[in-house]
Amino acid sequence: MIPIRRIVTLLLVLQFVSTGYLWTVNGIGTTSEARFAVFLAVNLLSFSIVTYVYTHDKWEETISRGWILAAALGLALLLLSSLYFS
Amino acid sequence: MTETSGRWARLAAWFDTRLGLTYPLLRPAPRYSINPFYWLGALTVVAFLIQGVTGIMMMLYYVPSPADAFGSTQYIFQSVYYGRFLQTVHLYTAYAMIMLAFMHMMRSYFVSVYKKPREMMWVVGMVMGFVTLGFGFTGYLLPWTVVSKSATDVGIGIIDALPATISSFLSFLIVGAGGDATELLRFYDLHVVVLPAVLLVLLTVKMYMLEAHGVAEPTTGSPIEQRASRSLPIFPDVTIYLLGLAAMFGSAMLLISAIFPLSLPPMYTPQLAAQFTAQPDWYFLWIYQILKISAFEGSGLPVALGLVTLILVALLALPFIDKGSSRRIAERPIFVTIGLIFIAELFVLAYWGLESPGQVIATDDAAMILGAVALIVGTSSFALYTVFGQRGAPSPDSKEKVSKTQGKFATALAFVLLLSSGAMAIGASLNAIVRVVLYGTSASSLVQLGLSIGFLSVVAFSTVFLMYRMELAGASLKRRFDWLEIGWSANDSH
Repeated sequence: MIPIRRIVTLLLVLQFVSTGYLWTVNGIGTTSEARFAVFLAVNLLSFSIVTYVYTHDKWEETISRGWILAAALGLALLLLSSLYFS
Repeated sequence: MTETSGRWARLAAWFDTRLGLTYPLLRPAPRYSINPFYWLGALTVVAFLIQGVTGIMMMLYYVPSPADAFGSTQYIFQSVYYGRFLQTVHLYTAYAMIMLAFMHMMRSYFVSVYKKPREMMWVVGMVMGFVTLGFGFTGYLLPWTVVSKSATDVGIGIIDALPATISSFLSFLIVGAGGDATELLRFYDLHVVVLPAVLLVLLTVKMYMLEAHGVAEPTTGSPIEQRASRSLPIFPDVTIYLLGLAAMFGSAMLLISAIFPLSLPPMYTPQLAAQFTAQPDWYFLWIYQILKISAFEGSGLPVALGLVTLILVALLALPFIDKGSSRRIAERPIFVTIGLIFIAELFVLAYWGLESPGQVIATDDAAMILGAVALIVGTSSFALYTVFGQRGAPSPDSKEKVSKTQGKFATALAFVLLLSSGAMAIGASLNAIVRVVLYGTSASSLVQLGLSIGFLSVVAFSTVFLMYRMELAGASLKRRFDWLEIGWSANDSH
């Protein structure tokens, strides 16, 4: 059984934090612009996972554990890649 | 808690009754359409919207005059907050828009959604594709770099090869008579006003037709399950699904922009352009490569342009050419094969164009390479159709059927490999024979001839062997050869 509520809550917190962080990024320079792009991508990807969970839950269809894990891995890679741009 | 959610529900209901959010303006979508391949067109529109937003932000700083275009672009790059980011996203999303439009077109081609009653949707979609390419052509010039101006000049130069009436009209339309200043201004106007307006009108027309005809059914050939055919409301279900898909696409675009940020090439000057080999952007490379074939040089250019026009007109008129009733891939071998050859030739031409900037291509080289590609792809496709049968593979509902399908797949793969090798061997043999005839015999030419004919013989024997064993399995041979039945037992046919 996939803990849907926990996943969605975690993703919403992540979106909230990354949105907050976006406001602090200096918009001039390749590195900071890349960091901005990465955190915006984190935001969009987590939103995308929330929509996946929402629609499949509503349609009473199986939420694929594989997709959730792949998306979580993608998010983790994105967050890790932000270190490269710092 | 209940009181709070009740308040939210009342607020949502208030907005809903005023704004008509859940009013069924758009028809619901079937469940089977919840698949990214069904929404490639929608993703193209998402890319267009991103283009619009980033483009409008850049318009605040960009100056469309030869003296200031490069400077203002450089200013956006270096001094405007998130300026480089905006330009990078704008460019990569433009590429994505072209690629998505192409994928949408090819998917529509293979599942033949253009058939009755959706013929005009295809025609309008194709015109939208041309407009998308127009965006690419006009937008490329705007930074006024040596790369963009030189490539655009090559494109404009091609117009002169058209019949006088058409060329003078097109020249007046996109270049004008005021030199570089008029040309840049016309391109800018086309890019930011005319083409977006045309695209929006066409999009509205296409959306209207989509509403009239609905989403095309899948072409699996088996009846659609009740669960897959159930309807989902466009709001909120499909809208939220699409927002998720768009977010994933946006996320990919952002990541690519972060990893590969743009750098601005030098400003255009006639002196610098003289040292530079002009080359168009990747989506026009296939046309560029066709025009570079030596047979089409000089007076042959109108023929090449006629050929390209013929390809585009054939695509446009496809619903009136392919009038067969079946939409299944398994039952349309000719059109599917033509489609595969078309994609393969486009990729080969584009890659070849990228690798040979400014070089004239010998006609026999072009004929040999393009012919070999068509031969390999065409014969591979027909081999797959022959092995699987035109009705397609049976649905595997038992282990026996699965193993038979796997066996057929392995045979088809072997055929594809043999045919590809055969095409190469024929090419190498012909090349060796031509060398011997033209330059006489030498040790190296004889070795090449021997090796290529040996390779061809191995391929030919393997093909005969494989075909014989297939017939053996089907027990339909009139005459049998023991030496071709080594290791064969009667049980193998079961």
